[in-house]
Amino acid sequence: MSRAGTEESALPTHAAWRWFRLGLAWLGRSTRRRLHFALTLASLSGGVILEAFRWHGWRRPVRSEFWRSLRIALAGGLIATTFVAGLIGIGMVFQALYWLRIAGQEDIAGTILVTVLLREVTPLLIGVILLGRSGTVILSELGHLRISGQSRAVRAQGLDPFLLLVMPRGIAGAFAAYTLGVVFLLVALLIGFATASLLGGLSGSLWAFLDRFLRATAPIDFIIFPVKMLMIGLTVTTTTALTALSAHESDSSGRLIARGFMRGMLVIMVVSGLLSLAA
Amino acid sequence: MTSILTLTNVIPTALFGAAGRTGIDFNLEPGELALVNARDLGLVGALGDLCCGLKAIDTGTVRFLDQDWTTQPRDRADALRGHIGRVLAHPAWLDFLSAAENILLGRLYHTRRATETLRTEAAELARHFGMPGLPTGQISDLSPDDLTRAGLVRAFLGAPRLVILESPVQGAFSAIVPALLNRLAMLRDSGGAALWVTRSRLVWDNRTLPASHRWRLDHTGLTRIG
Repeated sequence: MSRAGTEESALPTHAAWRWFRLGLAWLGRSTRRRLHFALTLASLSGGVILEAFRWHGWRRPVRSEFWRSLRIALAGGLIATTFVAGLIGIGMVFQALYWLRIAGQEDIAGTILVTVLLREVTPLLIGVILLGRSGTVILSELGHLRISGQSRAVRAQGLDPFLLLVMPRGIAGAFAAYTLGVVFLLVALLIGFATASLLGGLSGSLWAFLDRFLRATAPIDFIIFPVKMLMIGLTVTTTTALTALSAHESDSSGRLIARGFMRGMLVIMVVSGLLSLAA
Repeated sequence: MTSILTLTNVIPTALFGAAGRTGIDFNLEPGELALVNARDLGLVGALGDLCCGLKAIDTGTVRFLDQDWTTQPRDRADALRGHIGRVLAHPAWLDFLSAAENILLGRLYHTRRATETLRTEAAELARHFGMPGLPTGQISDLSPDDLTRAGLVRAFLGAPRLVILESPVQGAFSAIVPALLNRLAMLRDSGGAALWVTRSRLVWDNRTLPASHRWRLDHTGLTRIG
């Protein structure tokens, strides 16, 4: 009797324990799955950097893929970059110059522009533009290659999919991000200066304005900005490539692009945030 | 003389399932042509993968030019695959490259031969297989027959040591086979070998094909017929 009573009282505890373990297992599984992607991405990005320094990796088809990817990223992103930079020039640079002049704080305009425009806005927006213009192309091309089984043809010919498909896109993405970042910065500053000059928000020459901006730029910014742009370009392209190449046969291209876009956005935020903290 | 392809007591359960417990012993010497009949398209591609060291095996060894695939580092194995010309049974073209780039891709990757020389050789092969020259457009612009021809150009380009043909003449038998046999004869004369895996009764029943061995491939394994 007492034994039966013990078994009855143990039953709910047993069920609760079981549910707790199931919950823990689900949590562990999800965490592991997400970490798996992050670790794979880190090793893939590291691999791209290492392989890029090995001359024998740059065979003719790899070089062709690099130039094609660079053309897609730069030509596809240049108009969008110029347009968004123009908007930022009017919406941010001009506004900052205008309101700081009214507040009598013109002297700190350079510091504010460096802090906001150079360190944060430019890397983030260039990352988004690159993701939209170049990342979606990678998702579409490599996703189709994976889903339709064309990747078998690559392996069957003895071609290394990493060297042929991932490495040139990663390096092209890094260079494109840096180039577009410089273009973005120059256009935003020029449009902001021109608007402020026309609407009376600024006195002085363009050179004086640029000089103030450069004086506000700390030596570390000359390292962090290129590193941030290169890393964002590299990780955006490797994220989309990894998403595409790990696609399942049941994945539709729409679903793949949505997944790649979300991952890309997340990576841009994380890389930008980490490098800002490092600065 | 070095054997081109040797399979010794190979048991690939991933390929044949539980039924294929009998080890495969298969040898292809320089100058030989093996004709294999297989009904299942999946098996056709899987046999090609097995011979190229891309299929896991449970026991036995697969050797190409006396090199065991399982003991080769990855880059060395890729370089060895560069000596194999292959007509694939499954989708085999990269959509984002042009037809010419697709054809030349393997040779440009594995060799340092001048691009123009390769283009000239590819154009000559393309004419041999009935095309006006090296196709210039996109892969999607080619008709199914021209895709078959382009696949053969790619497989024979650059003097491979082994050519694996996975159902290579689907739907274009009479137009392609004479040119293909001519090219196979040249390959065999130069010390190469070929493995022709076919699903076509027309090819299998054609006793004039100069095959050194005939095999049948099904889910129980690979059986020698003649």
